[in-house]
Amino acid sequence: MSTLSTTSATPAFGAALAFEWTKFASLRSTRWTTAAVGLLTVLGAVFVGLSGSLQPDDTVLGGSLTLSVVSLMVAGVVGALTVCGEYSSGTIGSTLAAVPSRGRVLAAKAVLLAGMLFVIGLAACLLAYALGDAILESGKYAQGELFPSLFGIAALFAVVGVLGLAIGTLVRHAAGAVVTVVALMLLPSLFGPLFGDLQRWIAGATPTAALEKLTQTSDASHEAVGSLGAWPSLGLVAAYSVVLLVLAVTRLRRRDV
Amino acid sequence: MIEARELTKRYGGKTAVDHLSFTVRPGLVTGFLGPNGAGKSTTMRMVLGLDTPCSGSVTVGGRSYGRLPAPLRTVGSLLDAKSVHGGRTVRKHLLGLARSNAIGRRRVDEVLELVGLTEVADQRAKGLSLGMGQRLGIAAALLGDPEVLILDEPVNGLDTEGIRWIRDLLKSQAAQGRTVFLSSHLMSEMELTADHLIVIGRGKLLADTRMREFIETNSQGGTLLRTPDEEAGRMRTLLEAHGATVQMDARGPWRVTGLTPVEIGELARGHQLAIHELTPVFSSLEEVYTNMTQSSVEFRGGVQDAEHETKELVR
Repeated sequence: MSTLSTTSATPAFGAALAFEWTKFASLRSTRWTTAAVGLLTVLGAVFVGLSGSLQPDDTVLGGSLTLSVVSLMVAGVVGALTVCGEYSSGTIGSTLAAVPSRGRVLAAKAVLLAGMLFVIGLAACLLAYALGDAILESGKYAQGELFPSLFGIAALFAVVGVLGLAIGTLVRHAAGAVVTVVALMLLPSLFGPLFGDLQRWIAGATPTAALEKLTQTSDASHEAVGSLGAWPSLGLVAAYSVVLLVLAVTRLRRRDV
Repeated sequence: MIEARELTKRYGGKTAVDHLSFTVRPGLVTGFLGPNGAGKSTTMRMVLGLDTPCSGSVTVGGRSYGRLPAPLRTVGSLLDAKSVHGGRTVRKHLLGLARSNAIGRRRVDEVLELVGLTEVADQRAKGLSLGMGQRLGIAAALLGDPEVLILDEPVNGLDTEGIRWIRDLLKSQAAQGRTVFLSSHLMSEMELTADHLIVIGRGKLLADTRMREFIETNSQGGTLLRTPDEEAGRMRTLLEAHGATVQMDARGPWRVTGLTPVEIGELARGHQLAIHELTPVFSSLEEVYTNMTQSSVEFRGGVQDAEHETKELVR
């Protein structure tokens, strides 16, 4: 049988990445969930602009990106689904038979998610800002600084996708992973006030807090989310996301499929 | 070539695979037999690096699976035909796998053609029948034109034509010098397909032998004998007088054990008895296998779930 049209090269990381991309792009569910990440943010800007519901002390940037916090949760869900979907459908076995290095499988998924969510986050936030700026009454609100915050926001989408991937790998079941991702983003700011002075630490370390600081919304008060700056907050979230991903790789390596 | 050395897997206190050593050679179809829960799937999963052995090792072509540079181009496997995402099309499922091992896109069309799924290539996998799903699993296994094929119950859900198709495919793969390792609970099918057998029970090796030898060695065998009805009584008395055991058999009036066909023929001639049929028979694989696994179960002292296991394989 000489009909095999292979390249003779040993498949490198790029092959694993192409594999993940093909799997990702060939499913309606992941395509739509990812599209929702961008759409929600943009729709939020239109809604806030038209409804006139923005607080007077808020910024155009913060107002335009009101729904980006929901988008961010969906980004985390997308991350979780890329691996939980493999467990629920049973494809995890054929995936790991095709790419036996489990670290490489998760790395490929992480690179794909991060790249895709960065671009989607960047485009959606830019569009949302442009729409918000056009619709909101000019001069009524402080503008907010678009650059370089925009890149930080896009990076946060990428980081949260990776965080979702790590949680999804550790939890495996889609429902459990989604609940965990959403809880991580929502609960600290809901229950933070119960912890008094600790609130700033508990709520301040969440991806949500980092997002509020980056969008310069008036919600990001020192009392609520601590005095840690926007960029250090982003760094903190990125750091523990990477730690969780390393933990996920370790677990996946030790686990029988 | 697949080589397992002292392969052992325990789940909690239960030993699924127990110091299992065997070699699966190229150029042959090797059947992997054992009752449900004997450890066949666990063994195959360890070959593919999906489950990690507690001790022992297994290599494919001299390397552990995880060290193969492009595993799909060395080993094609089908463990569970349901392991396809229902929302993905047949073609995309294969295309993803092809990309993961730097296999060209054209090969996807080739295997689709080979398994007869070209027409449904752009349908979602959830719309496939059980048999088509199985063919998709086979297509995935053949994708990398591998030297080694590992198939867990490949004929599940296939119709007669599909079963024959798989049998011919596997035989031709083996004839090309490839290593073919398949498990099946359909023993009649295994008898037709496999050249060599590895039989396990409770995770332990029971037999590792050529199919023919396995049947000849473990067979109760005997001779089918048909005589005119009016002489049947005399013939039976005669044979029993010479130490034979004579039993009713579904395939003919009697099954004679303890005498060779030559001895039976000579005895009949000496006593002027007519013979209408005299056929040496070996037990079917199923009979041999049942006897064998039953005794292996009895050997272990007939505990509760051992009896359950026996029922499973007699069923």
